[in-house]
Order: sequence, then structure tokens, then C-alpha cells
Amino acid sequence: MQIENQVQPAVCRLNGISKSFGDIQALRDVTFEVRKGEFLAIVGENGAGKSTAMGVLFGLLEPDAGHITFAGERRKLKSARDAIDAGFGMVHQHFKLYPDLTVLENVLVGYEGANGFGLVPFQERRKAVASLIREFEFTLDLDRKISDMPVDARQQVEIVKMLFRGASVVILDEPTAVLTPQECVTLYAMLKRLCAQGKSVVLITHKLGEVMDHSERVLVMRHGALVAERKTSETDQGELAELMVGRQIETVEKISRIQPQVVASLQGVSVQSGSDKPRLDRVSIELRAGEIFGVAGVTGNGQKELVNAVMGLEKNAAGQIIFQGRDIGGLTVAERRQIGIGYMAEDRMTIGLAARGTIAENLIAGREGSSPKGAVREGHSGFSSYGFLHWRQIRDHAQRLVKNYDIRTPSAMQRVGNLSGGNQQKVVVARELSAAPKLLVVENPCWGVDVGAISFIHRQILQLAETGAAILLISNDLEELFELSDRVGVMFEGRMNRVFDRSELDAFAVGAAMSGDEEQRP
Amino acid sequence: MIRSRYVAIIAPLGFIFLGVMILLAIPQTRPVVEGFLNGAFGGRNHFNLFSTLARFSILLGMAMSVLVSFRAGLLNIGGEGQLVLGGLTAALVGVYLPGPPLYVSVVALLAAMTAGASWAVLAGLLDRVAKVPLLIGSLLLNYPASYLASYFVSHPFRDVASGATQTHRIMTEARLPRFPGTILDYGILLIGATAILVIALEKTSVFGYRVRMQGYSYGFARTSGFPTGALYYRTLIISGMIAGMTGYTAVFGLNQRYIDGMLTIPLYTWTAIAAVLLAAIIPLITPVTAFFFAMLATGAVGMERSADIPREIGQIVQAVIVLYLAGVGGKMLSGGTKEDH
Repeated sequence: MQIENQVQPAVCRLNGISKSFGDIQALRDVTFEVRKGEFLAIVGENGAGKSTAMGVLFGLLEPDAGHITFAGERRKLKSARDAIDAGFGMVHQHFKLYPDLTVLENVLVGYEGANGFGLVPFQERRKAVASLIREFEFTLDLDRKISDMPVDARQQVEIVKMLFRGASVVILDEPTAVLTPQECVTLYAMLKRLCAQGKSVVLITHKLGEVMDHSERVLVMRHGALVAERKTSETDQGELAELMVGRQIETVEKISRIQPQVVASLQGVSVQSGSDKPRLDRVSIELRAGEIFGVAGVTGNGQKELVNAVMGLEKNAAGQIIFQGRDIGGLTVAERRQIGIGYMAEDRMTIGLAARGTIAENLIAGREGSSPKGAVREGHSGFSSYGFLHWRQIRDHAQRLVKNYDIRTPSAMQRVGNLSGGNQQKVVVARELSAAPKLLVVENPCWGVDVGAISFIHRQILQLAETGAAILLISNDLEELFELSDRVGVMFEGRMNRVFDRSELDAFAVGAAMSGDEEQRP
Repeated sequence: MIRSRYVAIIAPLGFIFLGVMILLAIPQTRPVVEGFLNGAFGGRNHFNLFSTLARFSILLGMAMSVLVSFRAGLLNIGGEGQLVLGGLTAALVGVYLPGPPLYVSVVALLAAMTAGASWAVLAGLLDRVAKVPLLIGSLLLNYPASYLASYFVSHPFRDVASGATQTHRIMTEARLPRFPGTILDYGILLIGATAILVIALEKTSVFGYRVRMQGYSYGFARTSGFPTGALYYRTLIISGMIAGMTGYTAVFGLNQRYIDGMLTIPLYTWTAIAAVLLAAIIPLITPVTAFFFAMLATGAVGMERSADIPREIGQIVQAVIVLYLAGVGGKMLSGGTKEDH
């Protein structure tokens, strides 16, 4: 641990770095240093310039102005290789590992130390890697294949890989996005050990709770500029959030208005996979009007299959799905949408939206067909008849939604792909909510969305629930789930492992269920 | 992003303009430009203009066929096979079906469209059922189609007396009439009407909307509840029908019979693909680029006559444009080719 007031020497320093992409200035005269053995956090909204700064630091982007110094010496980083040689190691959010290779092989890739005959001295290299693992107290089996390993272990492999390459600064981009709370604790303990041994850790995240708990120093970025530097001990979460957004954030307040009638119920819904375990294993839940049912779980434990089964995107779903007293198992996606099931997909760039289509075009998807008699909803006289589009109605509809949902765009005929992440998600929200669904399936609604838009989207979801719709909310963000859900079900290996009531919600209990702990409720 | 796209379009146009200006400014090279323009538009009674238009007609038909597929994100590059089978079918019906001329003409048109559509659907079935990617399946189906046609016109249905590998002539009354005093036939009206229909419906119909959105993103279309399977096959059917119809106009109008290689040697389909890509798959621009390529080909012939520059230069220019597109346009297209079925 560091002693107060004793500032360690800087390992590296960014001096007045600026970088633009076309008209957008992604970095504006950014100057900061990384000190030896410190735990530095960089926070900021999406698009604040965090990734660009790291790209510059990691040699992936060349700055327009400014320079980087290493131990007082100016250095030009032209590639990731230069950055690695200079002592940087980056753990990306999406791991860059070869799933079919072993831990040892993955660590050695690119740094095999082959001899003159092109042969790799595996014995020798294995010893080196093994001693490194011992030194930093990791628990890794060198001969295990990556594809057989859980996510947290894969992350360790990434870190070991960086250390083996001689990294003195380890940069982690949103490292806890894929981890359970327990795994996060282990990760941070490990990172602190690195700091204790003189390595510097740079954490890029938007999870302010983790920043407060673990970092020593925080840099806040906004609109490409470094707006504040704080000692973690001298700030609080509220101040950081305000600095990030540049204004006060309204907090969302949840009012539960659960009504007795069941809107949708799933009974023993399964999805078989080829041979081994089913991908979705007899999931049964009941959703009441006005209820938000949260689904937690590490990605890949059946959440996708659950969503697809409900939406009719999964052809091999078994079991019963009852919606408003009717078995909808045989209905197509279009029919399910028609009877009032909405879907906000997680991957908005390719599934939730057609990025090259205009806002207006995206806003009518699913409702472009001629409405059947009696199904015309209030305010919509239909967007087509006899197979022809009514462009006037489509444009009016788009303009109305752009206004009501505060979509920031010069025009409704703008391509969706040109909008920012938050505004894109607002287009999805606007489309789905304006259809007034009775059941809305929502997947990670705030993924890659800036803080300001998050509270807006959360408020919209809560308001929809208040009007009596049932909501199935799948999210990787426990904070979000806890804030919005009436109940939270935890998925593990395709099963609904445990269901918590709002009053019983506890990060560690949920985390335990996420990693397969099957403790039954009393 | 936007800026670089404009640069990508304007920079080469600027170079071309500059080049033409230089050629015009130097007395020795002036005949090259004059020859090109004369070859594309001049001649006695504007004969060359009409041969440009005749070529444009077929290019436009194929460009529309390609456009329909590409707009839907379907890389159907089997237009050549669909065109050849359409032309061959039309010729066989035209030569051997007895009956009044109008009846023969209409049946030939319908048969040609059916033939083209079937060939496109076959590529689709290979894709969806046998998992042969459409790009590869449709391309490979070009070969059996053109060899089948070659065999038919060189053996069972050959007009032996003529000496060439071609069918007999279609009866005079059933042919597409020509505009008086030109070699241009009424087929261009049929194709022009089709092009207008395609361009208009793409924007105004629900079908056009769905196809466009599905072309932008297949996953989006699926989760929005579009009938993706039906859209897929219908798109291919329309694309194949237009190709077949184009084959019909070439046989009943331009050549009045099926001659071996008449639809493949001029590289109509590949030029049409280039035209669609040059137009960035925007329907309204496609006729312009199709005309540009038609002009390039006939102009090159004129250039050869007057300035002794080989006509192959025209094709080299076309190839350079296609290569350029492969680099720049590839990015424009890439979003539309993502499929995950």
C-alpha cells in the first residue's frame, strides 16, 4: 500500500494528446500520467474518448498532436507491438484468445521465443510461464484448452499473457462486464496484488461503484477532454457521475403496481441442442400485469434461447407459452407482435435496427403491413393499404416519435446508423413502446448507451409497466436489474436456477446463483 | 464518413473530366474524343445512338434484375444463366410454337420469364436447403445454363442451312417491331416500363420496404416479423423473371433468333452488376450508370474506327472501374451482404 502524500514516479505520460476523426474531435489536449504501482480508473460516458485515449496509448491510433513519454523519454508508438514492447498490456472487453489452444499456447502466441530452427523450446517457456503464475498467485492449468474454461479464468489468461510480455502497465477495458460479483472480488484482489508488486493498473469502466471501491485515483473524461482528476478517497459516486455527464442526473424511482392477472406464462419451456445438455431447460415463469421480471445470469446460460422462444425466433422450442390465455407456441414472429408482444433486442446495430435505413423506416418495422380490421390502434391509421406505403403517415408518425422520445436528430429521414448509441436505442424504445405492447421482452437496454439516456430508457420501461404491461428484462447489469425488477430469476446452464423477490435481492446471493449455487429458498 | 464517400465519387469523376479536357485541348488527340462521341451517339441518322440504346436496353434489364437481388442483400450473380435460359426458351417457343403471332409472342415472353425465375429459384434452393451460398450457387449455375444453350443451338435446334450455331429465325409477325429506320426495337419500352415499376415499387410498396430492410439486415427483418423466407424466394423470382424477360427482348428484338453466345460474349450481366455497384445499389441512379456502360462500349468501337485505338480499351476502362468499386464500393455493399441463416 502506498503511503499518503508520497507520489510515485510516472511510468508513462500523455502530453497534450489530440485526435480527430473527420469533424469529430475525439480527444482534446489530454494530458495525464500513469504512476508506478497505482490503481488508476478512467471513467466517462460512451463517446467521452476513453477508448480513443487507450487506442493512442496502445499504439492503435496515431495522435494528431501531442506525444507520449516513457520514463521521461519520448516515444512514438506505431503499432500494438510497439506498445507491448514499451510495457503496455491491454485486456480487451472481448478476449483475444484462441479457443482451441491451451493456456500455455495462448500465452506464448507471438512471443514463442523460437530458436534458429523455428522450434519453440516449450519446456523452457513453460517454466517461465509457470513461475510467473506462481509469482502473481494465479490459479491456472497450463494445459487446459481455453474453450473448456470459464470466463473469469479466460480473463486471467489475458492478464498472464500481458505480464509474460513484460507489461508494466495493465489496461483493462470494462473487465467486470462478464463476471459475477464473486468473480469481480477475486479479480480486484488479483489486480491489487499486481499493484503491490509495482505494476500499474488502468481500469476503464462506467461502473462507478467499482471505481470507488478499488481505485486510488480517478480521471473523468467528457466530450474528449479530461475534465477532472480526483483522489478516490476524496470523492464520491454522485460527484463522479455528475462530472461524467456534466449535469445532475435524475434518479429513477420505481413504483410497483403489480396486478393479479397473469399476462404471460411459460410452462416447462425447453430448447434442445444437438447432443448434450439442453440450451434451455424446462423454464417456467408467470408474468403478471405491471410486473417487471428480471433475468440475471452470465451470458450464454440460456437467456438468448429464452428470448427467442418467447418471440418465436426459435423453431425447436418445447413446452407451453401462454399469452393472455392463449397458447402461442405455433404463432410466427409477426403474429406474436400483432397480438401485443414487443421486443427490444440487445444487438441494436444488426437486430434491433437496420442501421442503413432511416429513422422513419425503422420506426414502422413490424407494423408496416396493412392492419387487419379492428386491430388499428389509436392514433395509427395504418402505414399501408393494399400493399402500398402511406409515406405521409409514416413521416408524421416518425416526427411525432422523434419529438416524444427526444431522439436527437436533424430529421426523421436521417439514417439510424448516423445517430449516437443512446439515440439509436431511443429509436428502438420509441418503436416498441408506441406499439403499446402487453408483454415486452427487453434485452440489455442500456448496453453502450450514455448515462443521460439510461435514466430516460429506464423511466420509459417503468412507465410501461405502470400501465399494466408485463416486462421480461434480461440484463447483464445487476444494478439495472435490482433497480427495475419486481422479481429476478437467475439462469444457469439453461435452467431458471433461483427466483428472488425484490425484497430478497442481494448481489452476493444472486451472484452465487449465477455460478450454479442451487440453494433452495426457505 | 460522409466526406470520404463524396471524395470517393467526386475524385475519379474529376480525373475523368480533366483527362477528357486534356484530350480535347491537344489537337492530335482531339479525334479520340470525337470518335468516342461519334461512336456512342453519332453516325448516319444517329445510327450509333440507336445501337447504344439497344445495348442500354439489355443492360438496363439485367441491371434491374441484379438490383432487385442486391437491394434485398441477396448476392444473386447468376443473372447470366437466367438471361441465357430466358433467351433460349423464348427462341424455342418463337420458332416451334404454332399459332397466331401475338399468341406466340406472349407465350414466349411468359415462358422466358418462367425459365429465368426457375433458374434463380434453383440457386435459392441450393442456398437454403443444401447450404451452398447463393453467391457460389448462382454463379456456378451460369455454366450449365450457357453450355445447355450452346448444345441446343449447335445440335437439336440448329438452323443448319445458315451455317452458324443459331436457331431458325422467329416468324416476322411475332418479332418485336423496330422503331422506323433504326435497329432499336420495342423491347426497350418493355424494359423501360419494368425499370420504372421496379424503381417506383421499391420506394412505395410494402414489399419493397421489407426487401430493402431485409437487405440492410437479415436479423432485423426476422425479429421484426417479416416473412423472410417468402421475401427471399419472391425476390429471386422477380430477379429471375426480369432476366428471362431481358433474354426474350434480345431474341425477339435485337437478334430475331438465338445465336450461340449472343447473351454471354457482350458480358451483359457482368456489366450490369458493375452498373448496379457503381450506382451504390440506389435504384434511381442505376439507369444512369447502365447507360454510361452502354455508351462506353459503343463509344470504344467508334474510337477504334476513327483513332485506331483498340476497342478493348473500353473494356479495360470498365475493368478499372470495377476494380475501383471492389475497393470503395465493397464497403458500401458490405452491410447489405450480411446474412445469417
